[in-house]
Amino acid sequence: MKAIKNFLKQMAHNKALGGFGAPFETMYGILFGTSEVTLKAPHIRDNIEIKRFMSCAIIALLPSLAASIYYFGWHMLFLVAVAYVSGGIVEVIFAIVRKREIEEGFLVTGMIFPLVLPPTTPWWVVVIGMVFGVFFGKEVFGGTGRNIFNPALVGRLFITIAFPQMLSSSWQVPLSDVITSATPLSVYKTQGVLQDPLMMLLGNSQIGGGCMGETFRLGIILGGVFLMILKVSNFRTPLFYLGTVALFSFTANLFGISAIAPPWFQLLSGGLLFGAMFMATDPITSPMTNPGKIISAVVMGILTVLIRAFSGYNEGVMFSIILTNALNPIIDSIVLAQKFKVRSK
Amino acid sequence: MTAPEISPIVLLFASIFTSNILLANFLGMCSFISISKDIKSSNGLGLAVILVLTLTSVLNWAVYHFILSPLHLEYLRFIVFIMVIAAVVQVLEMVIDRVSPALYMALGIFLPLITVNCAILGVTLFVEIRSYSFIQTLVYGLGSGVGWWLAILALAAIRKKVDNAPVPAGLKGPGITLIIIGLMAMGFLGFSGMLNVQ
Repeated sequence: MKAIKNFLKQMAHNKALGGFGAPFETMYGILFGTSEVTLKAPHIRDNIEIKRFMSCAIIALLPSLAASIYYFGWHMLFLVAVAYVSGGIVEVIFAIVRKREIEEGFLVTGMIFPLVLPPTTPWWVVVIGMVFGVFFGKEVFGGTGRNIFNPALVGRLFITIAFPQMLSSSWQVPLSDVITSATPLSVYKTQGVLQDPLMMLLGNSQIGGGCMGETFRLGIILGGVFLMILKVSNFRTPLFYLGTVALFSFTANLFGISAIAPPWFQLLSGGLLFGAMFMATDPITSPMTNPGKIISAVVMGILTVLIRAFSGYNEGVMFSIILTNALNPIIDSIVLAQKFKVRSK
Repeated sequence: MTAPEISPIVLLFASIFTSNILLANFLGMCSFISISKDIKSSNGLGLAVILVLTLTSVLNWAVYHFILSPLHLEYLRFIVFIMVIAAVVQVLEMVIDRVSPALYMALGIFLPLITVNCAILGVTLFVEIRSYSFIQTLVYGLGSGVGWWLAILALAAIRKKVDNAPVPAGLKGPGITLIIIGLMAMGFLGFSGMLNVQ
């Protein structure tokens, strides 16, 4: 054990390797963490940094991952591996060119990305989406912590547009090999039929379940609450996002607009829970200020319901998160400007 | 040709959001990219565009329906539209210079450039092709302007954040801006088929 530790440490600080030392440093960080202790003040209170943020997110995603393996087979693990390798290659290239450490951000992106894909997605589509997402969604903006848009969603959006047939009309029925074009959302849109709530909570539907990670909604709720308790994700975003969706669809139903599904169905269908718990709460792309978080969550909720009901697409969570990601900087700067105004009076 | 039956409220929402003049039609890109460096002048230019768009689309509608059409001079419409736009911008420039010299300095060359902003002529031509009524023209011009303003504000705030980031040297400035616009436009595809404009 000590030999490995010393080897990695030496490789990381080996001048001859130049930028190629970065992968070794990352391995060292993942396996051993930091053991350096400060002698004088200031001392750190808690050793929470990107790595622990990311590990918490991955633990929270485990129930969804396990459920997706149970429902759709071991193929899922293969797709996660493909996403890790393809995203990792882009990440390593950029780390070498920039002569910087490899950030752990892509571990969460590579885990989330296969979870939001339909079970029948071929592996090469995963590669295209992941490379596009990490490259154009994150690395060109300057790497982890600098991205404006959620990289996993950028990749998902790109392949949704590039391969519409594959990504939005062939869904596998959980626990079987049947491929169907029906999901709870599309069935509601075309026939107005609702599904059984308990079945939707557990994800063992008789029709197409949806994306791999979004079917086992009980696990998503558990993972999301776990993140909120650890304060890795801020509770405001999911609370106001889901609340807006429920309130908006409830009001619309009062006025008798039948294109908008009832609140419980909105909450339990599609990627809403997954998006609200794991993607909208992304600490990098969501607003920094608390009022900003609330405003952007409300906007997301309204957009989601509208796109679901009236657009050509069945699911609006992905689009609404990307659209509000674009609005978040301006929301933040307006909130800050407002704050300064109040103080100076 | 009779006006299409679209409620003005639907048309207002459609022109601001679902068929945004910038991110769904890709009109008015040049000043969108060059001015969006800072929020304050983006705000100023956005407001100027709202004003110019509303004024010129209504004026051009009147010119087309009361002068060109009765005299059968439709083939002159492009040159006449451009002249009306240029005149409106010229007057607006003098007014802004008088009322707010600071904004006038901030906008600089881009205020006269509104004349050749493709969004302005584009809206006028959309109005003519879709044969909107007067109220529809007013609402569509206003909505397109508001959509332009919101889009440039959002982009300016994003660019302020990206400015400090270690963006690859070759992509600094317009390069990364075009990537941001592309990603925003991808998000706008979610609105496809939502509201009808023609």
